[in-house]
Amino acid sequence: MMKRLRLLLPLAWRNLWRNPRRTLITVLVVSVGLWSILTFAVLLTAWSDSSRDTTLKLMTGEGQIHATGYLDDPTVAHRMAPPSGALRAVLNSAVVTAYVPRVRISAIVQSEYKTLPMTLAGVVPKDERQLSVLPKNIVQGRYLSGPDDPAIVLGRNLAKRLKTRVGKRVVVMAQDASGKLAERAYKIVGLYASNQQTEDEFAFTGIHTAQSFTKIGDDISEIAFDAQNDAVLPKLLDDLKAAATGRDVQSWKTLAPLSYAVSTFFDEFIMMWLWVMFALMAIGIVNTQLMAVFERVREFGLLQALGMRPRLVLYEVALESTLLIGIGVVLGIVLAVVTVHAFPNGLDLGFLGRGAELVGAGRILYPQINVGDFVLYSAIVWVAGVIATLWPARRASKISPVEAMGHA
Amino acid sequence: MTAIVTCRGIVKHYRQGAIDVPALRGIDLEIDAGDFASLAGPSGSGKTTFLNILGGLDRPSSGTVTIDGEEITKLDNNALADLRLKKIGFVFQAYNLIPVLSAVENVEFTLQLMGMDAKERRKRALDVLEQVGLKGLENRRPSKLSGGQQQRVAVARALASRPAIVLADEPTANLDSKTAEDLITLMSDLNQKSGITFLMATHDSRVINRTHRHIVITDGQITSDERRLQPAN
Repeated sequence: MMKRLRLLLPLAWRNLWRNPRRTLITVLVVSVGLWSILTFAVLLTAWSDSSRDTTLKLMTGEGQIHATGYLDDPTVAHRMAPPSGALRAVLNSAVVTAYVPRVRISAIVQSEYKTLPMTLAGVVPKDERQLSVLPKNIVQGRYLSGPDDPAIVLGRNLAKRLKTRVGKRVVVMAQDASGKLAERAYKIVGLYASNQQTEDEFAFTGIHTAQSFTKIGDDISEIAFDAQNDAVLPKLLDDLKAAATGRDVQSWKTLAPLSYAVSTFFDEFIMMWLWVMFALMAIGIVNTQLMAVFERVREFGLLQALGMRPRLVLYEVALESTLLIGIGVVLGIVLAVVTVHAFPNGLDLGFLGRGAELVGAGRILYPQINVGDFVLYSAIVWVAGVIATLWPARRASKISPVEAMGHA
Repeated sequence: MTAIVTCRGIVKHYRQGAIDVPALRGIDLEIDAGDFASLAGPSGSGKTTFLNILGGLDRPSSGTVTIDGEEITKLDNNALADLRLKKIGFVFQAYNLIPVLSAVENVEFTLQLMGMDAKERRKRALDVLEQVGLKGLENRRPSKLSGGQQQRVAVARALASRPAIVLADEPTANLDSKTAEDLITLMSDLNQKSGITFLMATHDSRVINRTHRHIVITDGQITSDERRLQPAN
């Protein structure tokens, strides 16, 4: 094997540079193709992660627990007791990084000028900071001080639509535990910034204030939680389902189907892009290698006339392709790494304005190299590229020495 | 004399569409060890076809060829490649050197195919190149050598594996008179001093006049096989 390699390697390497222009074009085709695959993979993964994080870090968390029926009819009628016993033990286990109890009810908010629908969320501010970015996104005023805080924090856009501001009061109306309409005035103490949908939908008050407002005692509407990582999530969900009998335990994939669809779509898009680019590359590679073979028919005949076995001729051409595509692959990886490192502070999508929110992306994407993906996609391109050139290589090995030597 | 090559009833037909074209019509011939023979005949007489069959590059339609005791017509492609590697040296009209290898690497190539140790094959390649008068030009690539020098490299390559026979197809056809004379002298010297067997298909009277045996092939049959004690001039 080593003897064969020592025989063929110098021959293959030097043959590559007999036609430098063709070699460089092929290297360019492979490297640009692979660069586009790797860079797209990084950007789409960043987009997918951003989309997921944007959604999960607002309110959703990586999973939620509700009373059965709440997701179909999110009213106080479908409420549950705060976590205790086995459920509390699972929520306090090491695989859960944070969990928050919430009262979450559909409500109407009224200012002096306008009445709008929204969702009132009663929260424990200290816990909420562990799971959601919204407490940190206060753009005016302050966030809630504790579970008993009687004030309200509105989304920036909701306040704008209500034509109200920090320091003024709004009236919130919602159905209470007895089915009657409850009504209460809240002082606006802060405005938060987020995507437009969230700003319009959610207003926050202390959890005890919301419980008292809806007359539900200690009951809550939901528990949102974050897991240590994606790998532990399926088992955690199983454990929670076992501990929270009669309750509805769901992962973010069900709760935020758009984010999950975006994530899945991007994964599939990457694979689709990989195969489209690979098909284009393969056409280029096979074409140039066939040209290289046809130009050297006489030489392949000579090699066989001198005593080289047909299989060795095949190995020689395949080795040339391996080196040729290998150079392209290495260059493609270098280009992709340089491209990703050109954005050390992330890729600012500010120029898209709120358009980026439509597909759930955050303002800044953080492209990160996934070594596993880089190795996988590069290996696919390299191996599949070499396989694509086996056809011209086989043609070369099948050339009869007599016919080849008579070839002009 | 020991026969290095023995041909019995060699027939070769080519198909051209529906027409069967006979190229060789039953050739019986023996080439003895140490022969310095020329094979002549008009164009289309079957010289190259015969040489290709002797060299294991082509297969006869019928008949047998034995080279150095080995019957080659039944060998598969790999075995034929091995036979060409070990027992036959080729010199072609168009030199046919490997363009990406230097002179010494071209000579070494067949030795490397044979699996010879790097030091030994380099030494042998340099020795053979010196023998054909190319000392000092070992590291030049074919494109940096004249036609005559390239043909000398081709001869060196053919000799390096110490084959049973060297088959040369029009070896002087692309060379000027002086270079052709030099090459003929070189091959003649190698034959006389080292006993290497040569069979050369040629039209060149300078080659024919220097060989010890002259075979004429006409319409696929041997019409003359003249052995000379001394070359014609």
